[in-house]
Amino acid sequence: MIRRPAAPPETLVPGVALVVVLITFFCTPLMSGRALTAFDVYNTFQGLAQLGLLTLGLGLTMIAGEFDLSVAGTYVLGGMLAVRTGQSSAILGIVLAVGAGAAIGAVQGGIIARLRIPSLPVTLATYVALLGLTSAMSGGLSVTYTNTGATLWMDRHIAGIFSPPSLITLTGFVIAAAVFGGTRLGREIRAIGGDRRASRVAGVRVERGLVGLFTASGSLAALSGALFSYSYAAANPNPGLQPLILATVGCLVGGVSLVGGRGLPAGLLAGALSVALLGQVDAITAIPDYYTELLYAALLGVIVAVDAPGLRRGLDRLKARAATIRTPDRRP
Amino acid sequence: MSDMAGDRARPQVCVEVLSRSFGGVAAVREVSFTVGAGEIHGLCGHNGAGKSTVVKMLSGQLAPDSGRIVIGGQPVVLGSRQAAQRLGVALVDQELSVVPELTVLDNLLLGGVSTPLLNRRRAAAARCRQVLGDMGLDRIRPQQPLAELSIGERQLVEVARALSQNARLVILDEPTATLSDVETEYVFAAIRRVAARGCSVIFVSHRLSEVLELCDTVTVLRDGRRIATTPASELTVSDLIVQMLGEAPHRLTAARAPDPQPGHSLRIEGLRVPGRLTDFSLTAQAGRVYALAGQLGSGASDVLRALAGLHPQATGRVRLRDRAVPFRNPVGAAAAGVAFVSSDRKSEGLFLDKPIAANFLATRLPGLGRAGLLSSRREHQAARSLAELVGIADHRLREPTAALSGGNQQRVFVGRSLGRDDVYALLLDEPTRGVDIGGRAAIHRLLRAAADAGLIVVFASTELEELLELGDVIITMRETRMVARYEGGADGAVLMRDMTQGERAA
Repeated sequence: MIRRPAAPPETLVPGVALVVVLITFFCTPLMSGRALTAFDVYNTFQGLAQLGLLTLGLGLTMIAGEFDLSVAGTYVLGGMLAVRTGQSSAILGIVLAVGAGAAIGAVQGGIIARLRIPSLPVTLATYVALLGLTSAMSGGLSVTYTNTGATLWMDRHIAGIFSPPSLITLTGFVIAAAVFGGTRLGREIRAIGGDRRASRVAGVRVERGLVGLFTASGSLAALSGALFSYSYAAANPNPGLQPLILATVGCLVGGVSLVGGRGLPAGLLAGALSVALLGQVDAITAIPDYYTELLYAALLGVIVAVDAPGLRRGLDRLKARAATIRTPDRRP
Repeated sequence: MSDMAGDRARPQVCVEVLSRSFGGVAAVREVSFTVGAGEIHGLCGHNGAGKSTVVKMLSGQLAPDSGRIVIGGQPVVLGSRQAAQRLGVALVDQELSVVPELTVLDNLLLGGVSTPLLNRRRAAAARCRQVLGDMGLDRIRPQQPLAELSIGERQLVEVARALSQNARLVILDEPTATLSDVETEYVFAAIRRVAARGCSVIFVSHRLSEVLELCDTVTVLRDGRRIATTPASELTVSDLIVQMLGEAPHRLTAARAPDPQPGHSLRIEGLRVPGRLTDFSLTAQAGRVYALAGQLGSGASDVLRALAGLHPQATGRVRLRDRAVPFRNPVGAAAAGVAFVSSDRKSEGLFLDKPIAANFLATRLPGLGRAGLLSSRREHQAARSLAELVGIADHRLREPTAALSGGNQQRVFVGRSLGRDDVYALLLDEPTRGVDIGGRAAIHRLLRAAADAGLIVVFASTELEELLELGDVIITMRETRMVARYEGGADGAVLMRDMTQGERAA
């Protein structure tokens, strides 16, 4: 009888990380000296709204074994387009931003899938190009969003802890989870990331899947940028790399593997929520920013260690060596 | 029965003067054959004969340069795997094509044209259990991650996927290469059931006795051309070999007697791998070939993998040339003089995208230079000498290893462990898996020569013919334990009994 290996620890990462961060969050009164309020939870969900859709889009491409660096550029362009075109109609601005994001994603996906080029150089080039394009659109300056009605609507409280952007973000995760769990697409996306050749042989339309994923990734990034710009009543042409870094942390904490084939929307939500909660812990306790950065680094360090096959082999080796030492030498 | 015979007479699949070249070199030249409804049609040929190219064209992975394919009386264009699937062509590829990151159920459903967009988990799981049961895999749960299954079980899942697709033509390219005899019987029973429903089957295999046992008709290819299409009932294995090679292969001499003055030895005491191997002991002498005979899961492969440092949880004592081998570490084992040839050359062996020469030299770089600098002259000499040893043409040394046929890749894999001063024990897991009869004889000759040159050679195999042909000492294994040890006097029936139902050694 062959003993089956236990479930890999990386599948537990998103849940365990979220629980640990939640405990930290609930312990913040010990440091801040004030009780948590519904507003803290609202702010956490606002943080989720900022990076959740970005994490989801990036995570979907990572599950398929790719990495869409351009989400940061599409996020910036989406915000700028929405502000520039949505002054009188917020919906029109969002539609145009999402359309542009979808088109950018589709073109990139097509190039990557048809020409079989690695996604990193393609999306890096797109990221740089989009930053340049956004700066050209705004003259390198922030652009104010003057539709105050839309901004106020974005920040209104729903059920005390939610806002429209946070509910839209959660809806995005629910739809993604339904597609992943309820249709064959989820299976095919994981298969594309797990073994592309085997997927092709099995009959999966790999190229079409990749184009669809990059289109979804671009759309989600642009939507995220548009919602954020409306909420802050301004579009920033260069927010730096922080959105990309936080989204990547969210993906890795969410159990997505850098080599593809592993990850679920529920895990990505847990990852994004963990990052948002850490941000709120930082805000409540007013600790210096570098502590937060160290916290993110520690979290990633633990995840990378849990995922490291070499570490597991090393532990197995140590256990076996100890067992050999305990066994008496039977040689004459 | 007469209806079925009539169906077989009516071609369901016609391959008509199909040709395909790669870079001006013809891989398939005007090949024609037909497969009737319900017929199991064997496709044989040595490595490089063109079988895989024909399979790729029939399964939509490769477009023919000329000729046509007719399915159900209609000429078809198989532009992609999806197009082929829509026309009823299911495939078990030569390379294992399942996804370890998915569950067994997801793998069975993956890519099927009849798989609905919306998942119907309960119905699919029930169907999955039935399909797995037909393959003798009742112990496997539909929701079990595929990564938890052995390579043989994964292969069975892929076969089950193809056979469950209600196809008009099922192509199985080396489906039994990684399977034990017991598992092979399940696959054969499932193939016969599918054929009995009127499905045409093309079965590609190097195991000629299997081809004759299973198939109704056999087409033999050589150098890209069709040599013959013959009813299997009119063929013997020898006939097939002659058709494939154009000549009868040379047989090796019988098992060698032990050297009265043995050289160095490999002493294994109480080797144990939790759940995989129980208390294995052996003293292997230089100059002899030791065969570990066992089905998948018997522990035979695990003996070799543990010795090569690939089971970090292994316990026991291993000494080579009277020195302890740090066998929980692959680097330590290699440094102690152990070379290992895995059964999975794709992921544990060759650098397929690198040149053949680079693969030959990968394990002997320190000896090819001075002060850390490689000498290109020495590299070239060493690569040429190894190519000559294993029978690969000099001019191919710069080609990517992936361009070689499976059998020639295996020669490179085995060859790179030979002729080294720092190797004393050569371990090989399924050394001729997926290799044709000519290639197999060549690899056997290499291993015998290695033993004659003073190496300890230990190999694991599930193939009786190979075990009997090559092993001076045969150790049978079953359910993680050694069953018996033979130094001559064993025959196929005895080994099969030990491997499947034998008594355990005291």
